[in-house]
Amino acid sequence: MRKKRSNNIQGLTFMTPATLTASLFIVVPIAYAFFMMFFNINLLSGTRTFIGFDNFRKIIGDPRFWAALRNTSTYVAVVVPIQTSIALILAALLNSKVKFNRAFLTVMFIPTLTSSSAMTLIFMWLFNNNGLVVNQLEQLTGMRIHFLTNPDLALSVIMIMNIFSTVPHFMVVFLSGLQDIPTNLYEAAAIDGATKIRQFFHVTIPQLMPILFYVITMGVVGTFQIFDQAFILSGGTGGPQNSTLTFTLYIYQLAFTSNDMGRATAMSFILGVIIFTFTAIINKVMKADEMNG
Amino acid sequence: MNKFVKSLGMVSTIALLAACNNGDGGAEEAGEQDETSTVEDNGGNGGNVNLAVWGSSPAETNALEETISSFEEETGIEVELEIIQDNFQDAMTARFAANNAPDVFYLEAFAAPMFIESGVLENISGEIDDVDDFFDPLIDVFRGGEDELYAVPKDYSTLALYVNEDLLEAAGYSTEDIPRDWDDLMAFADELQGDLEDNQAAMIFDQTLARHYSAFINNGLDPAGEEGSADFTSSPEAIEYFESIIEGKEAGYLQNPQIDMGIDSAGAAFGANRAAMMIEGNWVISALNQEYSDLNYAVLESPTINGEEQSMTFSVGYTVSRDAENREEAIAFINYMTNDGLQQWSELSGTLPPRESVADAMDLFDNPVLEPHVLAAEYGTVWSSGESLPVVASAFDNYFQAAVNGTMTVEEAMQAAEEEANAELDRR
Repeated sequence: MRKKRSNNIQGLTFMTPATLTASLFIVVPIAYAFFMMFFNINLLSGTRTFIGFDNFRKIIGDPRFWAALRNTSTYVAVVVPIQTSIALILAALLNSKVKFNRAFLTVMFIPTLTSSSAMTLIFMWLFNNNGLVVNQLEQLTGMRIHFLTNPDLALSVIMIMNIFSTVPHFMVVFLSGLQDIPTNLYEAAAIDGATKIRQFFHVTIPQLMPILFYVITMGVVGTFQIFDQAFILSGGTGGPQNSTLTFTLYIYQLAFTSNDMGRATAMSFILGVIIFTFTAIINKVMKADEMNG
Repeated sequence: MNKFVKSLGMVSTIALLAACNNGDGGAEEAGEQDETSTVEDNGGNGGNVNLAVWGSSPAETNALEETISSFEEETGIEVELEIIQDNFQDAMTARFAANNAPDVFYLEAFAAPMFIESGVLENISGEIDDVDDFFDPLIDVFRGGEDELYAVPKDYSTLALYVNEDLLEAAGYSTEDIPRDWDDLMAFADELQGDLEDNQAAMIFDQTLARHYSAFINNGLDPAGEEGSADFTSSPEAIEYFESIIEGKEAGYLQNPQIDMGIDSAGAAFGANRAAMMIEGNWVISALNQEYSDLNYAVLESPTINGEEQSMTFSVGYTVSRDAENREEAIAFINYMTNDGLQQWSELSGTLPPRESVADAMDLFDNPVLEPHVLAAEYGTVWSSGESLPVVASAFDNYFQAAVNGTMTVEEAMQAAEEEANAELDRR
């Protein structure tokens, strides 16, 4: 009994600094945002008027909201599956006894270490109308494709960039998961006559489920919050024709171009709900609770 | 139990360290205060003022620091300089929201209407010396609805036409051949393109509204002039102007440095002999002289549009926040920086002085490179309009790109931009 209490005190003492910081910088701002989203706020003069759910009505009636929804959903739907599968395949390759796998790992990890703004500028060099990619493609196919200015393609450049920079991180996560799988499971499967490919699908994947859940969740959260790449590529406008307008860029525009903090917080709330829903669905589908058990 | 003791020990160590840190901080603060008070004693009339600016080039920061020291010597007022590296306007908004605004800060003309309308700036009408000496457009942009003054310009930039004389000569032309009128200039660029190499452009263009607002104004239309509504379409002549840009872009004699040429900036493309002409601000001069010192270039006034002179002007001023704690010192500071100290600041920083008398004293009207920029101070359109301008500009930039791509005609793009801006302004 005594021991339990002292353990509690110990635990609480250790948690205090983190709890204080978290509540000051996370809980209080979130609570304030809940309050702000029902007001029309001028941040500069500090005036606010209560307008109920008007901010939400305005957002739903804004075609740019739907453009942002379309862009962001496409983005998530394309990027998450591709980055997850590439990361998994690379991890599996590195986990097999390839020579110099440490060296490969080091080189492949570099994109994750590069800052996303620097990465965006590099990609803008590669994909501009006089850049390497456009010129090479022209030599190969004879077609000049204008990636950055074509509304149908501008977003895909950001997608490629994001996949390129997040794959290594997830690959390392998968790799650590793979190394935790006991070899006797593979031996047993081999004795039962399973081929390498069947071993991958029936031993590796089920064993990796908790990691897979983590990677997909973080992937979904990260891609829904895509901001800096879209901001730099379009110069903050979300153009051409709203084709690179993402949720977070839309929130930024509401707050600082339209100077409407109330609507920006309302939109942040909507984004929060969307991310929460998706994570809950992934959790349900992958039965993450049970496997972590 | 042992664990518990250990952890308690650790916690107390951490707490002690934190306390030490705090102690240091306190001591420092006390030290600073001492310093200020001694200066006050020495200076006699004393007082202090805090100033927030954005970080630009090291040269400008040095110039600012030196001019501030001159001011401190002359008046005994201590200036606390704070350089904000973040997005300055957003940071200022946050400071006002937190009731922690500096006494004096830089104000861009573009953001001025928003700050003025919000009522967070101090009315300084009648407290600034010799207001008539400023170029009118530069200071008028900082006036409110009843002509009251909220900020004083500290410097400005204007657009002018830069010509690469080497490229022009190699193609068989000279600077005298360049026409002043926009339409003739486009015809000239078209002709010139035929005599240039494949990777060179006759002229560089920028497709943001900030560079073309004066084209609307010269055709009698102020797109963001009326509060709460945008208008891009009611001037057919303005649409013709933008069509001439699209024509040039399609024919290849107008190119965008980042998108079409893959070069970071217009100045770099021009300096590297990849473009024969560009319309740019005086901010490119230091880079052209330092990084491309063997380049021969001339500067001409911006082309006339609709038969009238035009240019874009970017004006920045000093402003005082409302109910500033050190109001008197703040106004004394502004008066010094934009009057007695203006020449020192302009010469050291390489910016243009907003006062005609200082421009005269610095012989800028006889300086072949700067004269076209200074002349434009009188007739240029200052990049500022009503409070709606940020929304209007963002909609224009979003859709004009579609016209540049060829996916929309100029008229369709203007229509779409106008609708988007109006819808957004209605929602505010």
